Amino acid sequence: MVLEATMICIDNSEYTRNGDYSPNRFQAQADAVNLICGAKTQSNPENTVGVLTMAGKGVRVLVTPTSDLGKILACMHGLDVGGEMNLAAGIQVAQLALKHRQNKKQQQRIIVFAGSPVNYDKKVLEAIGKKLKKNSVALDVVNFGEEDDGKPEKLEALVASVNNSDSSHIVHVPPSAGALSDVLISTPIFTGDGEGGSGFAAAAAAAAASGVSGFDFGVDPNLEPELALALRVSMEEERARQEAAAKRAAEEASRQGGEQSSNSQDATMTENVSVGALVDENKRNDQTDNETALLEQALAMSMDDPRSSQSGGISMLDADMSDATMEDQDLALALQMSVQDTAADPTSQTEMSEVLGDRSFMSDIISSLPGVDANDPSVRDLLASLRQGEKKNDDKPSDEEK
Amino acid sequence: MACVHDHSCEDHDCSSDFSLYKHIDIPRVSALNEATTGSVKSVFKSWEQRLNSSGGHLESNDGDPELLVFIPFTSDVKIKSISVVGGADGTSPAKMRAFINRDGIDFSDAQSMQPVQEWDLAENLEGLLEYQTRYSKFQGVGNLTLHFPENFGADTTQIQYIGLKGEATQLKRDVVATIVYEVTPNPSDHKTRADGGGGLSHVE
Repeated sequence: MVLEATMICIDNSEYTRNGDYSPNRFQAQADAVNLICGAKTQSNPENTVGVLTMAGKGVRVLVTPTSDLGKILACMHGLDVGGEMNLAAGIQVAQLALKHRQNKKQQQRIIVFAGSPVNYDKKVLEAIGKKLKKNSVALDVVNFGEEDDGKPEKLEALVASVNNSDSSHIVHVPPSAGALSDVLISTPIFTGDGEGGSGFAAAAAAAAASGVSGFDFGVDPNLEPELALALRVSMEEERARQEAAAKRAAEEASRQGGEQSSNSQDATMTENVSVGALVDENKRNDQTDNETALLEQALAMSMDDPRSSQSGGISMLDADMSDATMEDQDLALALQMSVQDTAADPTSQTEMSEVLGDRSFMSDIISSLPGVDANDPSVRDLLASLRQGEKKNDDKPSDEEK
Repeated sequence: MACVHDHSCEDHDCSSDFSLYKHIDIPRVSALNEATTGSVKSVFKSWEQRLNSSGGHLESNDGDPELLVFIPFTSDVKIKSISVVGGADGTSPAKMRAFINRDGIDFSDAQSMQPVQEWDLAENLEGLLEYQTRYSKFQGVGNLTLHFPENFGADTTQIQYIGLKGEATQLKRDVVATIVYEVTPNPSDHKTRADGGGGLSHVE
């Protein structure tokens, strides 16, 4: 809720005709400007925002700092693209416009969209920055468009010389990042140093036409909580799996005298190692001895007669997971362990029961499944029976249906 | 014009003279070109504490000795004299220019405008020097802006203490109230002024 007067400096030079941001750089900029104006005025009704253009015939102030959003949006229409951007003059004019703001209590901030190459020396930019800092003006820079060599460093130097206790920021937006405004929503430029802007940002993302990439998984948690939860769960499991794989790789590096034994069992081994890894993930704890035990179980299963019910149960979990990428290191480790100890481990059973016994996890999974009501008595009975007698094979197939 | 205390401070209580600090609206005090935001507030304390730098001091940015201090008051005051304690090794300010009742002065304004009064300062590490004001010009002061354009040769300017001597009236010059928009009340917006200034102080 910081009381602020902001001047936004838009780049309307020829470089912004380029279409590497959709629909073109200038339009992407205009959308971002609209969003920023909305965010500022919403976070504090007394905030004012002004807009100026840096290219064209010269630096021109389109609207002086005002809290009237309509005026700001209107002035963005009918802007011509052309000329070359004059960064130094633009910043200085912005500073002057802020100096003559009506409410002297407002903090001063300049937001610059730098789409074209920067022709100024680093020294000149640093001097400008020092002057801004001296007059306690904060500066935010959005670096997009032309990737000139030296441009990011120059802009970083500029922001560093203005920066006073983290009030100034710089954001680099490459063309591959999608819509400019969506990228900006998550940056401190929008969230205003971690204050109330994030609420607006979330609402804006939901309301905007794309409305997708504002959130972690492309799903609004308010609209679809189950889907968002399921996605989050699978993301965490993937992360745990990767941590497990990294750990195994580290172990493997210490045992480099690996066996290059027969590859005839490669296929089954691979599958069971992957299955073992998936079961790891399910437990959500990265204890190495558990992993080892599970791997042993998996290997033992491939050695002995594959117990269809067991593998059936595991394949149920398999379905929940994303594809497992296998590395040779995992394979060599698995081979080594199979050589060492092939006895089927009764602890493997308890691992499974641990998984199924983890109530919160199970209820998460079940609630995420469409068409299954967690309070359904038959479901609850099933869960209870699973926890008690995990060895009952007929429970597994019914579990598989889910 | 400086005047030095020609009496020992035990029998005449100087601290009660410099009590205008109680009428300063400390949360709204601000400075330009300070190295640490908010450090200017530590400069306003009682006269006895003037040499106590445990609360921090005001320092300008590296390489730039200019400082601008904006001091709003809780009620209109009449300022009789000002005392400034600087830092050692040339970091004390050398000149002081005062502006009255002006909001939002920045460096370019300060350099171009004619101040109400300006002084050449001496290095005053003990805090015993005071600088008299032209009292007739300093009646009814709602806020005071002090501009320190130079120092005694160091890279930065340091100020430990600024003391103001004078008289407070109960009048307020600025009548426009602060507007707060509320959909739901927010208690932090409604702090009571329990520790603000109150009561008259008088000058011997």
